[in-house]
Amino acid sequence: MKTFSLNNLELLEYQPNRPPFLMIDHVTKVMPGKFAEGYKKLIKTEWYFPIHFPGNPNMPGALQLEALAQMLTVAITTLPGNKGKVTHAISHQVKFKKEVKPGRNFVIKTKVNSWNRGICRGIGLGFTDGELACEAEMTITIPEILKKFLPKK
Amino acid sequence: MNNLDKYNQVFVKTFSIKKEKLKKLKYNSISKWDSVGHMSMISALEDSFKITFEMDDIIDFSSYEVGKKILKKYKIIIK
Repeated sequence: MKTFSLNNLELLEYQPNRPPFLMIDHVTKVMPGKFAEGYKKLIKTEWYFPIHFPGNPNMPGALQLEALAQMLTVAITTLPGNKGKVTHAISHQVKFKKEVKPGRNFVIKTKVNSWNRGICRGIGLGFTDGELACEAEMTITIPEILKKFLPKK
Repeated sequence: MNNLDKYNQVFVKTFSIKKEKLKKLKYNSISKWDSVGHMSMISALEDSFKITFEMDDIIDFSSYEVGKKILKKYKIIIK
């Protein structure tokens, strides 16, 4: 399968989150079912900077993780038949390494380790100033697909 | 390792459960056998026995005991 990019409008077809909760601006490269990469520009007026924290603005860890999960989602929703489908998080394990400050790009790289019967396991890395800021192991699902394989209660 | 040992090992590892409790084990009877646990267990069985389940069999696999009957379809006898 070929790689392609998604601008901020095209992205909306594959990622159900909307501003201000959309944590991706641009997908620079995606290979459906394999990986997705891109970035979020952290402008100084992002809603969370004034409150996290006054005098020391930095991107909340929960939102860094959300950005990684949203990007991993794109790697799956770009697969044939998955466009527009809702995804849910199942479990994430994350480590934070560095504060992510305003005025930079938050660069996101994700890789799909497995995609099978509605469950995606993958990893994500977040970078700022060219340095690793966070890394996560993530499991997400497309419930609509997963439900088809479950025993009836 | 015989087929029963292999079968039991998948459940014990996937659900962190003691072998003595397997006979009564059913989908959703323990917290670890939820939707994600179900898919993990199915994948582990496929890897262990080198098979690929049909969709209907994944849906019908509702308990430890039912699973033994389903595996017969794939010429895997658990006894």
